[in-house]
Amino acid sequence: MVKLKFVKLITVARKAGTVTRRYPFEGPLLTEEFRGEVRLDPEKCIGCGACTIICPPNALTLHDEGEVRVIRYFVGRCIFCGMCAEVCPTQAITITKEFELAAPTTEQLLRDLVHERVKCRICGKPFLPAKLLKAANSDVPGSENYIDICPECRIKIGLKSILEHKLG
Amino acid sequence: MWVFHLNSGSCNGCDIEVLDALTPYFDVERFGIKLVASPRHADVVLFTGPITRETLPKVVRALRAMPRPRMVLAIGSCAVGGGIWHDSYNVIGGYPALEKILKKEGIVIDKVVFVPGCPARPEAIIYGVLVMLGVVEPKSKREVYKVESK
Amino acid sequence: MIDKHGEEQIERSSEEALAYVESLIKEKLADIPIKVYRAAGENIIVEVPREYLRNVAKVVHDDLDAYVRTCAGCDEREVAGIYAVYHILGLDNYGANVVIKVPVPEDDVKVPTIADIAPGAGWCELEFRDLVGIDLSGRPTHRLVLPDDWPDGLYPLRRDVPYGIRPPPVKREEVSLIEIERPGIPVGPYHPALHEPEYFELYVEGETVVDVRYRGFHIHRGIEKLGESKLTYKQIPFIAERICGICGFVHSCCYVMAVEKAAGIDVPERADYIRTIVLEVERIHSHLLWLGVACHVLGYDAGFMHTWRIREKVMALAEYLTGSRKTYGINIIGGVRKDINKEKVPKVLEVLDYVEKGTKNLADVLFSVPEVVKRLTGTGKLYREEARKLSVVGPVARASGLYRDVRKDYPYLAYRDATFKVPLYTEGDNLSRTLVRVEEIFESISIIRQLLDRMPGGDIKVEEYEIPLGRVATASAEAPRGEDIHFLITGRGRPYRWKVRAPTYQNIPALRAMLRDQQLADAPITIASIDPCFSCTDRLVVVEVSGGRVQRVRRINLVRLVGGGRRW
Repeated sequence: MVKLKFVKLITVARKAGTVTRRYPFEGPLLTEEFRGEVRLDPEKCIGCGACTIICPPNALTLHDEGEVRVIRYFVGRCIFCGMCAEVCPTQAITITKEFELAAPTTEQLLRDLVHERVKCRICGKPFLPAKLLKAANSDVPGSENYIDICPECRIKIGLKSILEHKLG
Repeated sequence: MWVFHLNSGSCNGCDIEVLDALTPYFDVERFGIKLVASPRHADVVLFTGPITRETLPKVVRALRAMPRPRMVLAIGSCAVGGGIWHDSYNVIGGYPALEKILKKEGIVIDKVVFVPGCPARPEAIIYGVLVMLGVVEPKSKREVYKVESK
Repeated sequence: MIDKHGEEQIERSSEEALAYVESLIKEKLADIPIKVYRAAGENIIVEVPREYLRNVAKVVHDDLDAYVRTCAGCDEREVAGIYAVYHILGLDNYGANVVIKVPVPEDDVKVPTIADIAPGAGWCELEFRDLVGIDLSGRPTHRLVLPDDWPDGLYPLRRDVPYGIRPPPVKREEVSLIEIERPGIPVGPYHPALHEPEYFELYVEGETVVDVRYRGFHIHRGIEKLGESKLTYKQIPFIAERICGICGFVHSCCYVMAVEKAAGIDVPERADYIRTIVLEVERIHSHLLWLGVACHVLGYDAGFMHTWRIREKVMALAEYLTGSRKTYGINIIGGVRKDINKEKVPKVLEVLDYVEKGTKNLADVLFSVPEVVKRLTGTGKLYREEARKLSVVGPVARASGLYRDVRKDYPYLAYRDATFKVPLYTEGDNLSRTLVRVEEIFESISIIRQLLDRMPGGDIKVEEYEIPLGRVATASAEAPRGEDIHFLITGRGRPYRWKVRAPTYQNIPALRAMLRDQQLADAPITIASIDPCFSCTDRLVVVEVSGGRVQRVRRINLVRLVGGGRRW
């Protein structure tokens, strides 16, 4: 009767029982470590763009347009690696467990964070978000004098003061 | 609903999750979903992979062979946005880049649903199918936050 | 250490072994103007002018019994004004790599072939011809990797070609593959069936297969170019993981190991243990996946469902340990991102017990089903000599009597601290390949249990490190499908040259030997038995040849299998 050993499969099947999880009527098979969509916190974000540099597929992108700086998160290209959360200096990025992300258009998969850019006191051009300037210069003494001047004007002022100093 | 699995150069991660959806734990056959062997029999195409140059004509041909109404479920970060290699020399980009080419060829796709994930979980794929059938409203919405500059 | 014959052997990859190999080379090649020096890890570089390449290759491959691991072409014009070809051959018995470096002048970009001496190098030579533009003299060549409509003369891996270049398609004469292989067989007008997404062409006479032609590389995504021009060191582990969705973690480990070797970074032991444990988890999942697919191809669908049911628990375990079911993303240069702390251990052991019991029951049932055993025995034979000549790797090699396993030959990570045996069979047919894989599942379970027991404390990553320029390193690991090897030359901020050779690449040329004179009905399971990274479609084109003429071309639906091919 050894030839009929394959009938043992029936016992195996019966012992296994029904393992189907009737998603979506039942919960999904998630563990607590799962990395889903990331969430950017508008309160904490300073607009530095560290996340956009590390993001391997460029799902997080930085756009400086007009008077604003936009940090755009395209969920569609995200690989859910979580590196952005590790790199953010203010812990503004949290990893949620959201995976129900299907959408009929790619428009619906975009999340934007819009920062207003500070305008240069001298030339009027917008250059960096206020929060970023404050965070970067918070413990630099004397920074209030030039924190609202854009880099090009700063160079000009610096050169001017050096020349003035040299020529007496 | 009869589905055809079309791989346009993916790493196989999403493909094995698609196959996984057939297995006892997730079992999409209870929704009436069956895997077919030819695009001519299919209602929905499960599309994975960023399209590589080599597979582009074949993908176009397979989609053209589908009878109307044509529905596409773009699965995974490669199909939705080109993935981690969206600007490589041999990659066309994901489904959005393909759409332009299909329009030029005159192939009309009636409905498309994007399922992000890398790889997309079987539950996420099932959710995508439900969105396509109109059973649930998609949760994901375009969001724009203005940050207080204080 | 004692090897399988019970003889005392030099410890592999030790200083002693490498010094011995170096002296051997210097002795045997005493009359050839070569330069021999050591690079990072177990690599010995032999620089030789191209006129003497064939002599050196003959000595190393035949006399020293090395086997071909891979070869890479590199554009070093901006550093040294030359192109360079690196042939990497491995000596298993000593755990040493011999890297033959051949400088190629800018104005005469050609190099002699070694494919007749070492058939295992056949494909990678064509690859560097396609991608770097170094021509080969002494063998017939054809396009291998780039798509058919890619223009001539544009070589993506040259440094002056941008990674995002999208040249317009070039219309080519429809050259039937049959013409290339067997000149003189008239095919007549262009046959529509030949241009469909098929990956294997089997030439049959009656019901017996006489030849096989593989057409692949549809998944070439330009990963090496991205790694060398757009991405930085820190981002590459993520792209490496997506080279293959089934054995991705192996690629990510190989890459970080290569960088760590090149830069001399000392990774904490705990990180090594975690990497090894996750690697073995991946091996279990991959072999169970293969077992299910093989059952499906044989028509035993119940086996497919049950195998994947067991595998589901392994996927959930992987998510519990790393954060994602696949493409784990825990490797970084210098260590790992996630820890396996004490609370997680009971869950791991529970899953391992479940898998062990389940697989034992399943294997019991499977090998008692008469159809399964009959169809697997005696089909797809690969004899030891052919296997050795083609340098096959992984379970395919071990089923044909070649005792080859990277975990033993070039020990890496925590494998030195675990005792396990490597299954070896000599028949070389489909059944042996199946048995090798089933046994490996049990060995992996045992390895994980041992490592969890002995896990050392400490950090899991190194925060500060420096990566010097211009260092050459290779790293290899035993993927579920065989040996995976990465070759790296460090650059500023990102690698200067990164070459990946996945295991299936090395195994596919062996299919010709395996399928010859086999019955057509056995072809699907034979193709499946090398465990190609399946990604492509499921069609097979059968070309009936009789009396030198093509009689008929028909398509067969082969479910969910076929193909493999280059993943990058």
